[in-house]
Amino acid sequence: MKKIALIIMREFNERARKKSFIITTLLMPVFMIGLMVAPSLMMLYSTSDQKQVVVIDRSGQVADKLQSSDEVLFEVNNTLSKVEACSTFGEDSGVFGILYIGSEVEQRDSVQLITNSSSSMILEENIAMQISSIIEQEKLKAYNIENLDQILADVATEIELRTFVNNGTGEEETMESTSSGINYILGMLLGMLLYMVIIIYGQMVLTSVVEEKSGRVLDVIVTSCTPFQIMIGKILGIGLVALTQIAIWALLVISASKFLVPAVFSADVVATSDIMLQSLVGTLGDTGYITTLFVYLLLFILGGFLLYASLYAASGSAVDSVQDGQQFNTIIMMPIILALIVMMSVFNDPNSPLAFWASMIPFTSPIVMIARIPFGIPIWEIIVSLVVLYGSFILTTWVAAKIYRIGIFMHGKRPTWRELWQWLKMK
Amino acid sequence: METILKIENVSKSYTGHKALDDVSLEIPRGAVYGLLGPNGAGKTTLIRVINRITIADAGRVLLEGKPLTNDDVFHIGYMPEERGLYKKMRVGEQAIFFARLKGLDKREAERRLRGWFERLGLKDWWGRKVEDLSKGMAQKVQFISTVVHEPKLLIFDEPFSGFDPINANTLKQEILGLRDRGATVIFSTHNMASVEEICDHITLINKSRNILSGSVDEIRRTAGGNTFTVTHRADHDTFTTAVGTLAEVLGESHGIVGGYNETKIHIPKDEDVREVFARLNDKCGVRSLQEMMPSMNDIFIRAVNGTL
Repeated sequence: MKKIALIIMREFNERARKKSFIITTLLMPVFMIGLMVAPSLMMLYSTSDQKQVVVIDRSGQVADKLQSSDEVLFEVNNTLSKVEACSTFGEDSGVFGILYIGSEVEQRDSVQLITNSSSSMILEENIAMQISSIIEQEKLKAYNIENLDQILADVATEIELRTFVNNGTGEEETMESTSSGINYILGMLLGMLLYMVIIIYGQMVLTSVVEEKSGRVLDVIVTSCTPFQIMIGKILGIGLVALTQIAIWALLVISASKFLVPAVFSADVVATSDIMLQSLVGTLGDTGYITTLFVYLLLFILGGFLLYASLYAASGSAVDSVQDGQQFNTIIMMPIILALIVMMSVFNDPNSPLAFWASMIPFTSPIVMIARIPFGIPIWEIIVSLVVLYGSFILTTWVAAKIYRIGIFMHGKRPTWRELWQWLKMK
Repeated sequence: METILKIENVSKSYTGHKALDDVSLEIPRGAVYGLLGPNGAGKTTLIRVINRITIADAGRVLLEGKPLTNDDVFHIGYMPEERGLYKKMRVGEQAIFFARLKGLDKREAERRLRGWFERLGLKDWWGRKVEDLSKGMAQKVQFISTVVHEPKLLIFDEPFSGFDPINANTLKQEILGLRDRGATVIFSTHNMASVEEICDHITLINKSRNILSGSVDEIRRTAGGNTFTVTHRADHDTFTTAVGTLAEVLGESHGIVGGYNETKIHIPKDEDVREVFARLNDKCGVRSLQEMMPSMNDIFIRAVNGTL
């Protein structure tokens, strides 16, 4: 035990005391926030060029009602035929494209957009929506209803749906307010975080085993302790680095939840804002809930990391260079990627049988389960999933240790699957 | 003399190649024991078998009469030929790490290591990273890490390779010092000069087999007879034709003082000695003949050639 502890501390110190570790740990939250905020900022400030579209309207109903915007400028030109327009407003004309509207708008192929370069979904949607609503308006007019505009304004409706978790009382004040939108974002963040930790730290284990082996440090250590002690010490040491990193983030987020959120969003601001913001502030400000989430996250990260790290260690022991390890790496990645795909589908229905089983089977369970937890999962499911996960970790470590203790002494060509199987069976 | 380590009939094969073929030897307590042999003879394999890094196909290794266990190995000090240190770690921390793995507590490890660093001129490197060390310095660090827990059995694989003569000499003195303090030292080498200076026992391994074992004095005595240095005027061809198959040429140097050549020969059979002298006197313009104590290098060459 003392030797394992020594190895754990060496692995931990080598990494956690590096400047790069401290910098990434502190910058990562900033980076994550940036990643979430940046797309909307870019949408706000990016001014893509206004696109000039020449409109030929044979129906006479649409052209003058089309509304130009920052994005698109409509120019009506009914004197040209479609063919003439195509040759006049070619690629060199500076015109983005030609919108041709046939005499019978609703007929198939009647509305066409002919562009000089690739078009965009937003633009196409914009044009189709505008034309549909113009035709709708025209049709409504044909009914000759008086005060049509006012009636339309009157009937326009928008409702807000509030979601609660039933606690048996039916009292709005005591029931927990939920929002699938917020749960989705939380689940996504947690799942992605776990995915990244497993991949990054798992590969760290592989690289570190290979370096120790090819640098011949292993020959020295192996005459001081058993291969199993070396392997488990390395895995736990690197795992400890991962946990430290997450724990630091947890502290940052929890203290933000306790002090920053109430300070920024005062009660009266929240009361007047829309439901989405209300529940966001509600969730972020609920320090107890956030803390619980992080406890689960740490448990699943540790389990998931340990499960995969032993496989990475075994792969590293079998090869002489990191490049040779890539083949094994690809195979280990497969269930992780699968978990990520399942996670995406879980958001549609967190209680589907697929979601349930994927969060029980150990190789996908950490990622899928942590993504489901924000939606409110029965505690027994979480416990079973954890038990299965940690049980499987013991199993994979046992298998990995058998390969490791032989692999580290083998130099030369990469072993075949058959050889690996023989190592497994060796006494 | 009491035997500390006994190797009995050890064999080891790798695919298509036999690395050790029925090797047996006994290492006396307190000896400086040299494992000699040309490159690829199986020295390193033997050392790795002793360390249980490699498991032998047949045979066994006994420490003080009992089969060697993992726990025994953990007390051996072992320096592999290819030096292994964590490049990114600080030198002092790394040495402490190795020492603690060998069971020293932190304070004691640091106290001893500081002393060693001071003695081998590494004091200023304690806080530096291993990657900043020169090759020779890294080797000294490795040496210190190997001996700091004062094991009763020390194994060095090619300890002198890569050292300049001054550092190699320092290392020799340290190895002898360790022996004087009660350690048994095994080392492999193909550097014969070091054998003469510090080994008291040797085993010569060639082509996976143990071809010669014993104390250095004894081997020199038994292998010693009938080696001569001849100073003469003949060229190489004349000389070899003259001695024919009666003597073996061990080495020659041309154009020493006065235009004479010097050739070292060994005459296997006592009864041929006079005959050889007569022929040389007749054909080669001999100026002097001198009987030699053979160097370990001569014995090494003769043993490998099978003419010992």
